[in-house]
Amino acid sequence: MIYLDHAAATPLSKHAFEEMKLYFDADFFNPSAAYLPAQKVRRQYEAAKDQIAHIIGAKGADLVMTSGATESINLAFSTIRPGAKILISAAEHQAVRACAERCGNCETIKIDKNARLELEDFQKKLTAETEFVSVCLVSSEIGTIQPISDIARMVATERQRRALAGDDRPLYFHCDASQGLGLMEVKVARLGVDLLTLNAAKVYGPKGIGALYIGHGVKISAQSVGGGQEMGLRSGTENVPATIAFATALTDAQNHLSAEKKRLQNLKKILVKNLETIPNIEFHGNPKTQLPSFVSFSVPGIDAERMIFALEDKEIYLSTGAACAASKGEKSPTLKAMGLNDAAIAGSLRISMGKLNDEENIKQAADAICKVIATEQARLERSKA
Amino acid sequence: MSKVFLGMSGGVDSAVSAYLLREAGHEVVGAYMKNWSKNLPGMKCPWAEDLADAKRTAVKLGLDFRVFDFENEYKQKVVDYMIAEYKKGNTPNPDIMCNQEIKFKLFAETAFEQGAELIATGHYACTDGKNLLRAVDDNKDQTYFLYRISADVIPKILFPVGEMKKPDVKALAEKVGLSVARKPESMGVCFVGEANIKDFLGEFVETKPGEIREIETEKVLGYHDGAIFYTLGQRHGLGLKTGLPYYVVKKDMGKNIVYVSQNLNSLSLWKKEIELKDIIIRGEHNLTKLQARIRHRAPLISAKLEGNKLIFADEQKSLTPGQSVVLYDGDICIGGGIIA
Repeated sequence: MIYLDHAAATPLSKHAFEEMKLYFDADFFNPSAAYLPAQKVRRQYEAAKDQIAHIIGAKGADLVMTSGATESINLAFSTIRPGAKILISAAEHQAVRACAERCGNCETIKIDKNARLELEDFQKKLTAETEFVSVCLVSSEIGTIQPISDIARMVATERQRRALAGDDRPLYFHCDASQGLGLMEVKVARLGVDLLTLNAAKVYGPKGIGALYIGHGVKISAQSVGGGQEMGLRSGTENVPATIAFATALTDAQNHLSAEKKRLQNLKKILVKNLETIPNIEFHGNPKTQLPSFVSFSVPGIDAERMIFALEDKEIYLSTGAACAASKGEKSPTLKAMGLNDAAIAGSLRISMGKLNDEENIKQAADAICKVIATEQARLERSKA
Repeated sequence: MSKVFLGMSGGVDSAVSAYLLREAGHEVVGAYMKNWSKNLPGMKCPWAEDLADAKRTAVKLGLDFRVFDFENEYKQKVVDYMIAEYKKGNTPNPDIMCNQEIKFKLFAETAFEQGAELIATGHYACTDGKNLLRAVDDNKDQTYFLYRISADVIPKILFPVGEMKKPDVKALAEKVGLSVARKPESMGVCFVGEANIKDFLGEFVETKPGEIREIETEKVLGYHDGAIFYTLGQRHGLGLKTGLPYYVVKKDMGKNIVYVSQNLNSLSLWKKEIELKDIIIRGEHNLTKLQARIRHRAPLISAKLEGNKLIFADEQKSLTPGQSVVLYDGDICIGGGIIA
């Protein structure tokens, strides 16, 4: 198997898996119970939260653990007052788009041909009425890193203006860091965000665990009530094993950040060099603003889904530009907003590399992709004849 | 060698059909008919997975592949018909309607427009170029569902697995490496899938609870949640606390009463003679010497057709209005009609 879809899911790291096992077994206690062994679990749980928070430059008490990015995003959007004006980028994940649509009063900020948010358009749309902004750290389809701190500066300026004018209308900035975490530095202060969504399943942690960072001064209310866990913001017995594993996996990723970045850059170079031989291939995204793990491309006339099935037959796994929507024949809004035509959207493939890749299997994969595309082009030629 | 458009459902039968057509040298275009995509209570519609499986097979075999979106037509011709029939108290067969209106009419027309010379499906049935014939695998024969297809289209149909036995179809799929070889067979009404027909109808039809009465005594034995949900001969799901088996023998839709009986010999349940409507007969046949099938996989019974009247050699049980009786002259499926 050659796995090229780390942006969709990463395998659980062995270290994280080892660390979490204990909490299914000997240390299974409910951290809210009063006796000592349970209290020990409570301390370890809090320590794990601190560990996660530390990596993003926050404290454990700033985090609400959730079931994953989608829940974090929903919780972040719950801060929005009914009817309030919100802004999202055109490169957002379905979860953000769906939350925004539900709020109703939403405008989309343009992205350029490389899927990067257009700051001028943002500045234009950020008005005195705007109450919420949501932009991803990295677009999940192209891997483009968004200018989060630039956006934050504009948000801060507007906030300052309101403060001086005595206008107490809130303005929060949420960033979905599902993609990017574990592959680049993510610090809340430097990014300048009020709310930050984290996801374990893309950093070699388990599925079903995520977190929302909530900055000081953000007014937020619980979406699920009950026993009052997570400072009353998310009731329900804490998912201790998954939180421990999340902390372990994220810490490991953080410790190897620069080495892994270099390794991925090298793999990307090899991959691109090999794919460049395909006639008419178009790469999407600007390598300067793209995570090194991502390579996105299309070949005019080639149907991406056919390529996925053809490569699957050789046990090579990758995605179309938009994994969630592809099987239902829906066109990716991100690719559309980048200005790609229908043929390029239909032919768009996303490779996201990670721990399961090395030089050898990347060369093999590139070779297989070239062959499969050549076969498909030959078939299309034949049927034209 | 012809240009063949093959209806691919994502199942093993149409996948093997694709392989066989390609091996025979045809230029094959795989086509997925998107007829239904709505989820129902307790039942996720598997259309997206089925489409992916169909496309996967087409890619594996190097075939062109298209999606035909027939959702609107399917809703009008099949679903609305089905709901209307249930409302009348009948028990319709939507698969038969789907074959008549969608697969062997709309699909065929669309395929021919797009350059097909022949169409094909993964049904277990045969043709001799003129007649619709029973499949070789008697256990799988699907002519019951195909009896209403038009005589005009039959010469243009191929049924590549019609002469195969199901286990051989599966074995061949496995041998040539088709990923759907081990896919479990879908059950029940095509689009309702495994969902309870009750749940489905509940979405579309308002129903009223009513009485369940014993036909001999008129005694109220219990209550039902809508007479449309019950089928003649039905024994399970009546919810009677009598401890004894009762059968549905009659429905009074006007009064919303379901009649039951313990007596399997109840006259309402057994009939020797029935009236058919919407009769279709293809070709010239001796209508006094026919074989009839009163439900899918039921044994063939001798019968004769006199006008609208079908007379069986022996009395038959649970002839349900809305269901079809399919008629055969030897191996030829000549047509049939709907029980009035």
